[in-house]
Amino acid sequence: MTRSVTEPTGGSAAPDYPMGGPDAVPVGQVREVRRRWLPVGGQLLVLAVITAVAAVFRFRELGAVGFNSDEAVYTGTSASLAGNDSMRSLFPIFRAHPLLLQLAVSFTEHGRLTDWAPRAIAATVGVGTVLATYALGRKLYGPGAGLVAAGLLAVMPYHVVVSRQVLLDGPMTLLSLLVLYCVIRYSESGALSWMLSAGAALGATVLCKETSLILLGGLYAFFALTPSVRVRMRHVLAGLTMLVVVVVAFPLALAASGRANTGQHYLLWQLFRRANHGLFFYFKQVPPALGWLVLAFGIGGLLWLRRENTWRERLLLCWVLVPIAFFTVWPVKGYQYLLPLAPIAAILAGRTIWRIGSASLLRGNRVRAIAVPVVLALLVASTLAVTSWPKLSGRGSTLAGTGGVAGGREAGRWVAGHVPSDATLLTIGPSMANILQFYGGRRSYALSVSPSPNGRNPSYVPVPNADLSIRQGQFQYLVWDAYTARRTPSFARKMTELVNRFHGIAVFTATSTSGSGTDRSAFATVVIYQVRQR
Amino acid sequence: MSRPLRLLLPLALTIFALLIPTGTVQASTVHTNARDAKTKTSIKHFLFLLQGDRSFDNYFGTYPGADGLANATCQRQADGKSATCVKPFPLHGQSVQPLGATPSVLANQYDGGKLDGFVSALQSVGRDGTKAMGYYDQRDLPAYWRAAQQYVLFDRFFSATMDGVRSNRSYWVAATDAAGQPVTIFDRLQAAGISWKFYVQNYRPVTGPLTGSQTASNTQSAAVPLLNYQRFTTDPALRSHIVDLGEYYQDLQRGTLPAVAYFATSGSSERSARSISEGQSLVTSLTGQLMLSQFWSSSAFLLSYDGTGGFYDHVVPPRVDAHGLGLRVPALLISSYAKHGVIDPTPLDYTSALSFIEYNWAVAPLATRDRQAHSLLSAFEFRAAPRQPELITNGSPPPLRAKLRSTGIVYIAYGCAMALVLATVGFAFLRSRIRRPATPPVTSGESITALRIGADSR
Repeated sequence: MTRSVTEPTGGSAAPDYPMGGPDAVPVGQVREVRRRWLPVGGQLLVLAVITAVAAVFRFRELGAVGFNSDEAVYTGTSASLAGNDSMRSLFPIFRAHPLLLQLAVSFTEHGRLTDWAPRAIAATVGVGTVLATYALGRKLYGPGAGLVAAGLLAVMPYHVVVSRQVLLDGPMTLLSLLVLYCVIRYSESGALSWMLSAGAALGATVLCKETSLILLGGLYAFFALTPSVRVRMRHVLAGLTMLVVVVVAFPLALAASGRANTGQHYLLWQLFRRANHGLFFYFKQVPPALGWLVLAFGIGGLLWLRRENTWRERLLLCWVLVPIAFFTVWPVKGYQYLLPLAPIAAILAGRTIWRIGSASLLRGNRVRAIAVPVVLALLVASTLAVTSWPKLSGRGSTLAGTGGVAGGREAGRWVAGHVPSDATLLTIGPSMANILQFYGGRRSYALSVSPSPNGRNPSYVPVPNADLSIRQGQFQYLVWDAYTARRTPSFARKMTELVNRFHGIAVFTATSTSGSGTDRSAFATVVIYQVRQR
Repeated sequence: MSRPLRLLLPLALTIFALLIPTGTVQASTVHTNARDAKTKTSIKHFLFLLQGDRSFDNYFGTYPGADGLANATCQRQADGKSATCVKPFPLHGQSVQPLGATPSVLANQYDGGKLDGFVSALQSVGRDGTKAMGYYDQRDLPAYWRAAQQYVLFDRFFSATMDGVRSNRSYWVAATDAAGQPVTIFDRLQAAGISWKFYVQNYRPVTGPLTGSQTASNTQSAAVPLLNYQRFTTDPALRSHIVDLGEYYQDLQRGTLPAVAYFATSGSSERSARSISEGQSLVTSLTGQLMLSQFWSSSAFLLSYDGTGGFYDHVVPPRVDAHGLGLRVPALLISSYAKHGVIDPTPLDYTSALSFIEYNWAVAPLATRDRQAHSLLSAFEFRAAPRQPELITNGSPPPLRAKLRSTGIVYIAYGCAMALVLATVGFAFLRSRIRRPATPPVTSGESITALRIGADSR
């Protein structure tokens, strides 16, 4: 094994730029300075602090607000997998996505259902992603850049918000970093074993969320645009074979469980769904969530250090640009879909910030060489943390994927305690129906579910004639919620009409407060009406 | 204790003991809260809805396990009509007009206990008698059949008499159809200070005595026998207990459900085919709201019918006096203490409900009928805790998905996949530790910087 002269202590890290950019500092000086700036023990200490901060941002007030719809569905599915009979009748195991996360969560749902434990798993994965980001940053640009990248991701609003929820995108992002690591190792070594590992890791990512197959496009773009990285066709075929072998667990489980048609129905539905957001949704939502300064340092660094750019930056760019392009064009958009961008943005920003130190070093001030990047990193991290901190309460946002739904858990628990076990509820939309089913354990249907099989999630059962159904006594409770009412005002109006027509009496109201001081006011978030046919 | 005191003490205690019941009686003239009233069972609220014109075989003749229609059943037709007899047939999808069976037709159908005139008696008065042999089943009666599956169905519940609706409804409240102003169960309850109400669908308040012609033509007075008794229309203290059905829901909400409540319907009475669904809808609403209320755990809801309306029933009714009993009618008991899915063969009639009320609230019987009637007690299970409500719906519930065969295969498939991933990545790590790569793929195609970085990271 050959060692680079710039390697610190036997690892395989890239040069540590602040102590000496490869195009600027003599090799001997680089080694000497690195040994001085921070020993391995110190780096580990900093990493421990970053991990602690990441944990605080992911675990603090983790259960302040109950589940949103997706979380309810994934955890309900987990409970079904764990053998909870009441949940199994409410949450079919096979829905739109593979089941890797749900299987992991199912081990927490064997006894009493909780929402904290599944979120704790998601938060732990989030902290793990921060550590993986450090490892990848260290691998690409040295330990200093890795630490900055990890520090930024630890408090980055986008990652903090999503990784506090039981969503597939958090684990998918962690596994995508493993794919990236394997590709980097393959690019460096040309070893078949790393290509096989990349294929297997990508397979695991797909088992977490099927849309991560898009990342294959990023890898294709990288290898096609980077002739300097030689790739053998037989390696590619072997990697793809490994990908298929791992992913086949998804259809295999479907077929063996007698649900072969389920996947086809979901695929059709996904292909022909109506657009839920505009074309520039991600350009409006994601940059502020990543942090404008992070983006500025990341993109600015690519321009500033363009002479130093190599296949590594090309790999990172291909890794993020292909999903951005795909999901921008794809009509169905979700806030969390571009989460794999977050660690890459942090790594590129970390690279730039740490590289600024080496520029200072050129001016001969070694203290400043350390202090400037550290201060910059702390400054950027502070702006991120200031944005993230208020979001920990999970209240205030109505954008799907940005947190829990206020009042949903309270309403569901009221349902569990007060509504007969075979009573049925009708909500405005399926989001609240999912939440009430999880917390309340009562079957809930939604007004807005389309009667057309092509226009609805195959898991949902439509109510073609709500008026008739109520007259026949099939629904005893109607549920209005502010979250859905804002998203689908026409169905909210219809719900109000039904409440009035069927003598609705409000039997439960969840409220939330807004404003502060004297301007503080309460507003209803969920109202459950008891109705009667006559 | 001195001797005079020893003598006076038992005397004082005796006087005190005598005063206590006196005081209670005096207090009982004021209505007590239904839940505070002492009862001999756990039932604090008894509700009784009487619908119209259905026989047991008409509604439950094909109900599994009930004493229903036999295969050999066939009713002769009137002279001059077809020689073939008429077998029971499903009425599903048919719009059947009320048969219009008068007391004389009912008597001819009964035919002295032979029960062979169901078709011919109607044909003899110019009606389509074959319809008397029609029956409904689960397709038409989803709510009632579901209720029977979850609660108690009586297959020996008889109408009180074969003398028609008014007579049966008189037995319903007074255990007799004697002319005049019979004492009703509500008089007893009123005197005992026990709360009661008579809920009437689409109630048109009556504030004075009805004349004879008014009584004869007034369908409301037929459905609500109390309106035929002058004191219930003239005495405000009694009249105020007869209210519109809408008050029932308000009472449930306000927590003021009375101890005993009777229901009479108009548009939802089930006398016509069209109103069968309406009737079920009403019953699901009444019972559903009861189940969702605080009163479920202490209530019993009885549903029955005020006569067969001319529809066929194959059971000869017991003879208890000169007037009855009449033919079997459907009856369902829905209660948190009702047995689950039981078909109760105890011979009962409307006065059995009176008997239960009298027993439960300790009021005196009204007449011989209710004194001798079997009580409803056999249908209850009071030793167990109150049941959780099982809602009754009128219609097919939305389809449920079939259950999954097994989840074990899911764990196995994903477990194997993840094991493969770990093994592959682990192998690559180990291999990179022990072997140098044969061919570093990064070539000299990039800049000097790129070359150095590539070399740095092996």
